[in-house]
Parts: sequence; C-alpha cells; structure tokens
Amino acid sequence: MIGLNTGTSSHHASKTNNLVMTSPNGLVCFTNCLLPQEDGSLVNKDLWMDERRGVILNAQKTFFLRKERPDRIIDLGGNILSPGFLDIQLNGAYGFDFSVYNGDDEEYRAGMKMMAERIIETGVTSLVPTIITQERSLYPKILSLLRPFSTPTSATLLGWHAEGPFIEHEKRGAHAPSFLLAAAEGMKSFADVYGAANLAEAEDWLMNTEGENVGVRIITAAPEIDGVLGAVDELTRKGVVFSIGHSVASSEIATAAVSRGARLITHLFNAMPLLHHRDPSIIGLLGASPHLSSPFTAGKVPSYSLKTMTGNLSRSGSNSSKVLNPSKSTAKSEAFDDTMTPPQSPFYSDGSPLAGTATPSSSISKKASRSGLHLDKGEVADLAFERPFYGIIVDGIHCHPNSVRLAYSSFPDGCILITDAMKILDPHLKDGVHDWRDGKRFVKEGDKLYLEGTNTLAGSVVTLDKCVRNFSRFTGYSLGEAIKCATYNPAKCLGIENIKGTLRPGAHADFVVLDKQGIVLSTWVKGKEVWSG
Amino acid sequence: MRLIIREDPPSVGDYIANYICKRINEFAPTAEKPFVLGLPTGSSPIPTYKALIQLVKAGKLTFKHVVTFNMDEYVGLPRDHPESYHTFMFREFFSHIDIPPSQVNILDGNAEDLVAECNAYEKRIKDSGGIELFLGGIGEDGHIAFNEPGSSLASRTRIKTLAYDTILANARFFNNDISAVPRMALTVGVATVLDSKEVVVVVTGLRKALALSKAIEEGVNHLWTLSALQMHPWALIVVDEDATSELHVKTVKYFKSIEMVQDEVERTQAELKKRGKIAEEQIGSME
Repeated sequence: MIGLNTGTSSHHASKTNNLVMTSPNGLVCFTNCLLPQEDGSLVNKDLWMDERRGVILNAQKTFFLRKERPDRIIDLGGNILSPGFLDIQLNGAYGFDFSVYNGDDEEYRAGMKMMAERIIETGVTSLVPTIITQERSLYPKILSLLRPFSTPTSATLLGWHAEGPFIEHEKRGAHAPSFLLAAAEGMKSFADVYGAANLAEAEDWLMNTEGENVGVRIITAAPEIDGVLGAVDELTRKGVVFSIGHSVASSEIATAAVSRGARLITHLFNAMPLLHHRDPSIIGLLGASPHLSSPFTAGKVPSYSLKTMTGNLSRSGSNSSKVLNPSKSTAKSEAFDDTMTPPQSPFYSDGSPLAGTATPSSSISKKASRSGLHLDKGEVADLAFERPFYGIIVDGIHCHPNSVRLAYSSFPDGCILITDAMKILDPHLKDGVHDWRDGKRFVKEGDKLYLEGTNTLAGSVVTLDKCVRNFSRFTGYSLGEAIKCATYNPAKCLGIENIKGTLRPGAHADFVVLDKQGIVLSTWVKGKEVWSG
Repeated sequence: MRLIIREDPPSVGDYIANYICKRINEFAPTAEKPFVLGLPTGSSPIPTYKALIQLVKAGKLTFKHVVTFNMDEYVGLPRDHPESYHTFMFREFFSHIDIPPSQVNILDGNAEDLVAECNAYEKRIKDSGGIELFLGGIGEDGHIAFNEPGSSLASRTRIKTLAYDTILANARFFNNDISAVPRMALTVGVATVLDSKEVVVVVTGLRKALALSKAIEEGVNHLWTLSALQMHPWALIVVDEDATSELHVKTVKYFKSIEMVQDEVERTQAELKKRGKIAEEQIGSME
C-alpha cells in the first residue's frame, strides 16, 4: 500500500480518479522507494515529477533553477517505483482482438480504448498492438487506425506491429497459409500491402498524431522470403523496426538482415529453426561471433544470400503437404505450434563468407577499439553490428526456464519480455471451461489455454507482470534485471527511451509500483495514479 | 575553544546534528528572523547530514526558516556536474530535508564576473543578518573552506587557486585524472568564517590528525588556517578518536575532562534562563 504524507490534503487516490489528490504546486516527490536503473540495479533514491505535465523532473535543476520543491511527498514504503511496463507484442486482450476489423471504425476504436484502459492493471503503460497475418486488403485500413493512442487513464498504444504476411510458410504457426506473401518487388511489395501512407518516413507518419510525440512501427518478416532482405535497409531508414521472425533464415541470411538494420527477433525460439551448432540460424545471432560478423556490407544483397534464399524457398515449397487446416490453426498459439523443421545444413561451400574471412569491414568506425586479437580481459572484440534485441515469452510454456536463462546469459542487454497474448487475456478470467467461437470452447488452466477435448495450446494468456516475476525465478537474476527487460530494453529497441520505459528527466511519468515480490500495487499514467490493487 | 572527542565518525555526526538541532530549536526561527547556517561539503560532514536528515524525518527539526550559505564551489564546473558542490549538497542534504530552495545560497562558479559574485555573496551574508552557526570541515593541510595554506587570516569571499595537495586529493572524484580537477574555486574567507557567531568544525580520521594538532596545539598560523579558530570566542571542534592521534595525551585528557564540567555548567545556565534569571543572550564558550 502507498502511504501518503503531506500537510495539505488527505484524500486517498482511487480508481475512480475523482478524488485524486493533487499537489499545490503540481510537483510530487516519491520517497522511500527503490528505483530501477538502466543497468538493472535497484537504488534507494527519491524521484520528482510534475504531475500536471505528466513528466519526470530533473530534481536538482528544479531545486536550484526553478527554485521549487514538491509540495506533495509520497512515501512508497520501500517498494519499487518502476517505469511502466512496455509490451511490444500483444495481439489483444479483454475480448478485443487488434487483428479483427468488422468494417466499423468506431467499434474498432472503442475496442482500442477499452483494452488500453484495462491493461494498466497488469502494470503495462505502453504497448505495441500486434496484427497477425491478415487478408492483404485489410492492412491499409487496420494500420491506419492504429495510430499512437492514449486517454488520460489508459496505457499508450504506440503504433503497430505487423507480424506477417511476409513470413515463412514452414514457420507460420497460426498464421493463415493462404494469406502469406512474398515481396518480389522489395519495398514496393511492402508498400502495396501495408499502404504507402502507413510506411511514410517517421516524421510524416507521426505528423498527424494528436499531442503524441512518440510512436513506433514494427514489421516481423522472414528475411529469406523473396524480396524481403532487400527491403530491410529502406524500412529501417523510414524508422520501421524490422524484426526477424517466423523464419528459417540461415545464419548467413539472418546476419545479413541484421547488418542491414534488423534490430529485433520475434518470440525467440518459437517459429524458427532449433539451435543447430553448425548453422545456429536466428537463435545464433545472440552469440554473433566477431570472427564472422564483418563480411557483410550494407547496401547490396550479396549474391550468396540470393542463392541460399532460393534454396530455402524451394525447400519450404516441398513441405506444403504439412499445411494445417486454417480454421483449426486460428485456434492455436501462433508462436508455439510450428511445423518442426530439421536443423538446416550449413551453407558454407564455394567460398562463401562463412568459410573464414575475418577481415573487418573498413566502414566500421565504432568505438574503434578492438579488432581481431586483443589483450583486454573481459572485453569482446568489435562486432560489425549490434546484436539484435529479442522478444521472449516467459510464461513457462512457450520457453523452458533453462532456455530463458540460456538466452539471457548470452545477451542480457537484448532481452525483451513479451506476452504475445491473445484477445482472451484477462487476469480475472477464472480457470475452467469457457465459450470461444463457432460453438468451440476452451479450457483455461493457469497460463495454459487449450481447446476443449484436445491438448492444442490456444495461445498465450500470460500478463507481463507475471512474465517479470517468472523471469526472475527462471533465471535466478534479480527483479531489477527482470524489470529492465520489460522497460528499458524494449524502449531502447524502439528508440523511445527518452520518453518511455525509463526514469530519465523529461520522460513520461508512467509508473508501476511493485512490491519486492514483483506484485503490482499501483499503476500511474502521465503523473496520475490510474489503478491501485 | 571546545574539543569534543567521540568514538567514530557516525557518533561525531550524531553529536553535531543534535547540537545543531538544539541550537536551531532554541533560536526559534521565523520567516522574519531565520536561522542562518553555514555549510561545508566533503566526506567528513556526511554523517552529520545523515543524522540531521533523520531528525527532520522524525519531526524534531525543520529547515522551513533556515537560510544556508555554502562555503565554496569550483570555478567552471557545470552546476549539474556530479562533482559540483551544488550536486553534492542536493544529493547529500537538500533533497532530503524541507528547506525551501529560495533559502539556499551557493556561490556560482560559472558567473561571468567572478569577483562581483564573491562580493555579492559577502553582501548577501551581511543582509541576512550574518551567519549564526558555521559548520566546517578541514583538509589534510588544515584548510578550512578552500582557504589553502598561506591564505590571509583576514580574507573574505574570493577566487582561490587550489593547492597541489588538494588537487591530488580531489583527483579520485575525477577518475583519477588530475587534469580534470578544477584549478580554481570560489570560497568564503577565513574572516568570513570568523565573523559568524559560532563555528563548529568536524575533523575525523587519521589523515586529519596532524592538521588537528597544528590547529589547536600550536600558535595561530596562516599555514594551518583552521588555527585561526583560536581567535574565535565560540568555537567547537568535534573529532573522532583517530583524529586525536597526533595530539599530546595531556591535551586529549584535558578536553575529555572538561566535557563533563561543560555539560553541567550548560545545564545550570539553561535552568537559570528558564527561571528568568538570565536576561541577555550569552555568547561564547563557557570553558
């Protein structure tokens, strides 16, 4: 519980928001609390915010330059004051599905609003609505509706995450196979499907957003699909985050995608080849070797990649007999149920770069410190690119706890907790049998959800606050490091860490107050308490 | 001059904090007649600040009607630099107590006209009614504020070049990069400190032992500027056991013996005051 300590007023903040206490000078000091830092530590420190502007303050500047100090002091009783959680992959919740558009804009917007206002009980204050593969004509409409959106008491919908349709048939999960596409004309194919306006340069795309100065777009695609790799640079240049997922990309292609700007992996371990030691594929990017990272230069698709891509495409074609019944597949977790792919054969024949050149590209001018062999213990030689962030579903079902720890240990700074939850996500939903659709029913057992009478998993229903606690338990790392994976890391991946996901001065005053067991005690949006348990 | 010896730095901090708390509460400051307090930076006063914060949080002390003047600030270091004395004071003290920001005074080391800034600071102290109690610390070379060895004992607030010792000592705060340590500071003068009604100095640790001995066992000397305190009618030095290492046994015994007597005299005086037997305010050590 939050203890309140002020000389001027005594109302307790309530869910109804009618009696919310305000500070006479609009400034608030949170004290007796642990603040998660960007390095994953927790420090006992005060935090000042301006509750009228809804932003975090530089306390020292406020004191010495503005000559003010907060009139209201909130004693958090030693609990954790975290930036609000950020979920970059959420398909829907509370019965609303971002992927379903029934031809009525107002109905869709009402769904967005309802969902954004309710999700705050899970500590989430920002999220990226995620659309699974749809019939192509639906994209321009749905994506145009998914502009950055928030109400004074809701989480912020940051934009959109289009998962598909440019994904690998073999790894499509629950995505309808008939809607999958290749991008033969590269960037033009992307623009044709998503709508050119939705892929405008970041400044233009954000121009007409009301009062919001932050918004993001993510595209999950398989770089081995015809034309996709060639569009990565341009998408990246326009401010779109390219995420590798639902893919069988070889190590070479995955690396090429990253060196062209891909900065994210979609639900690591799910919908991608298993980790094979001779061709570790997408998962292997977490351990990207400085020895092999530099042969790729941005701007041109290397010829060997085209060759491997062809190989993959023909292979996936030959697997078409494994196509599942689409109506059945919609009931499945799109991240969990894959066609099993055998580990791929490595492609290092006829002088391909994997055969062993270690010459660093001359265009690399980062820290300019260590190339090749060096003498600094504890440091790693320069990579030609940043390893990509990776989303990971830590519900105990989609990834084994050992896998979570393995991934985190190999690349802690890239770890992003996601729920990938379906529209039935609702922490109030009781265990038992529930009606779904088309006369079908599902059984909910904790975070497991499957079709009645089967053992087919029907998707993720885990909440992000639970993922944070799970993560800490599974890996054995501290709660502060778990929080970092649900706040700073996703914000950094999206390039919005000055505004969301951190406690930096000037960032939005979106918080979740957690006890030392990671249980959500209250959620704050733009400086106001909007939910308390 | 009184010398109080306590076991360790935390006990020194508690002693001084309780002493300052008592002084402020007896003064009963108001908006019209605030208590004016001089403050130092450095590691020695941190236990005192911690103890003062606890007193404020416990409701035993408020800084609502206290005006503060800090001793010094580096020249040319941005105000929000992690090693600036603005940052130190905010981090270690001001952010945790209830002092209104408008009542805090720290020299501006980034002022365009540094001389004017110093003169204005002296004037501000005077206009506020003068400093009631100046809390200070010392350097290993016995400097009080940035009044390095050789400073005039009649000095006022001014620009001062730091001694090589001080630069070396402070390099640890600047990644051990001596070239990053500011070479100049603005500081109140020895006379500015002596002007205040009462001076309380905290000296802890073995490394300050020689300076303490020089300051209280030898004559007034501008090479150990703290020794100027010998000329002050109401000075209190609070030290830990380590800091007494260079003192004569005789000196230590003497000051330990008078502490009890002092306490008794103070109790009697307070009693008399309560009964209305003492009219005018008493200034000065009663040793």
